[in-house]
Amino acid sequence: MKFVDEFRDAELGRVVAGEILSLVQPGRHYKLMEVCGGHTHSIYKYGVDDLLPANVELVHGPGCPVCVIPMGRVDDGIALAGIDGVIFTCFGDMLRVPGSRGSLLDAKAAGADVRMVYSPLDALRIAKQNPEREVIFFAIGFETTAPSTALTLKRVRAEGVRNFSCMCSHVTIVPPLRALLESPDLRLDGFIGPGHVSTVVGARPFEFIPADYGKPVVIAGFEPLDILQAIAMILRQLAAGTSAVENQYTRVVPYDGNRRALEVMADVFELRPHFEWRGLGFISHSGLRLSDAYADLDAERRFAVPGVRVADPKACQCGEVLKGVIKPWECKVFGTACTPERPIGTCMVSSEGACAAYYNFGRFAREREVV
Amino acid sequence: MTGEPPVCGSGHCITCGDDGIPMTVLRVDEVRGLALCASEEGERQTVEIALVEPVAAGERLLVHAGTAIAALDGAQAEVTR
Repeated sequence: MKFVDEFRDAELGRVVAGEILSLVQPGRHYKLMEVCGGHTHSIYKYGVDDLLPANVELVHGPGCPVCVIPMGRVDDGIALAGIDGVIFTCFGDMLRVPGSRGSLLDAKAAGADVRMVYSPLDALRIAKQNPEREVIFFAIGFETTAPSTALTLKRVRAEGVRNFSCMCSHVTIVPPLRALLESPDLRLDGFIGPGHVSTVVGARPFEFIPADYGKPVVIAGFEPLDILQAIAMILRQLAAGTSAVENQYTRVVPYDGNRRALEVMADVFELRPHFEWRGLGFISHSGLRLSDAYADLDAERRFAVPGVRVADPKACQCGEVLKGVIKPWECKVFGTACTPERPIGTCMVSSEGACAAYYNFGRFAREREVV
Repeated sequence: MTGEPPVCGSGHCITCGDDGIPMTVLRVDEVRGLALCASEEGERQTVEIALVEPVAAGERLLVHAGTAIAALDGAQAEVTR
């Protein structure tokens, strides 16, 4: 079965890069957004942008779930982690996201029982191993991750586990894209659509982008050839003056998504009226919370959560980076006050955040260009 | 895995990377809806299979955060060039 190696073939990459070169019109500037943090990471890791003509610009989108978590939400998590007897579990990168008074890692150093997990199932296992403790899972992620949380909560219910609850910070991909498209300070020509989010939701939810805004969308895989091919497909549409949703990642993305995943999400979650995104502000119907049927497993209802809103640090320009208005290196604290070791903004925390990806893979190449 | 490393040290974060790890099914527990799977590097993980059932030993799955989100050997996968 072909899945990875064939999509890193350098010779084929040069062929597709040549096709891209033949599709662009000299004098026209193309601004394409890769929605997903995984794409951002691959683009920098494999130097995909080095294969593109100078007039094809890639803009990094809001698709990194760690990067869009606001400080107040981190503070809420730290407050829960500080409750006597609680074991607080989350994915690794969330540990380092700064809240207003430190990160979950700082809370752990101060004595809170904070543990990194690789899946909600791991968190459930901890709950079963510690029946006298309350275990809270800090659920983050887009629709790729939400079914995993939902299935674990159904398992909690089925197995009668009573010491497990979830602080749900799952978000949905379509509302922030619509917000970006409505933004007057950003002009985009097309979108590289998220790969594994689309494995769950399908390609159909993105049809509003060509229908309402006349922009092409190509759902793409994460290997360098996937991304190059998606860029060629977008440029082909632009050259023909058309706009549609196309699926480059057909090997795992069905056009209508995974029906069972959508059903389990609809059963366990409901849309929040509003959810705050770092740098993007409050976006209607963009976040998930547990449905009333699962209210007893909702950590925010089981425990007192402060729910205080905290403004982002003034020096940090993550919001503009997330909207693609500025490039990471154009932020005034990039690489100086804000580094992966001591991040100020969330985009520098996750390895898939635009700033960290650029810091780790792109910085020296840029310095070479300057020289 | 429930170890204590402070960060995702692999240069890749499960959620942010929209991660999908190809894994091979070693054993299926149909009653509990779980499968023991192994990555290409040999790392083993218990995986939720509710979204892709039925699966059998030897089949390959795309796994995200402990849940199989797609089968890699089905008709869709064959579209790959």
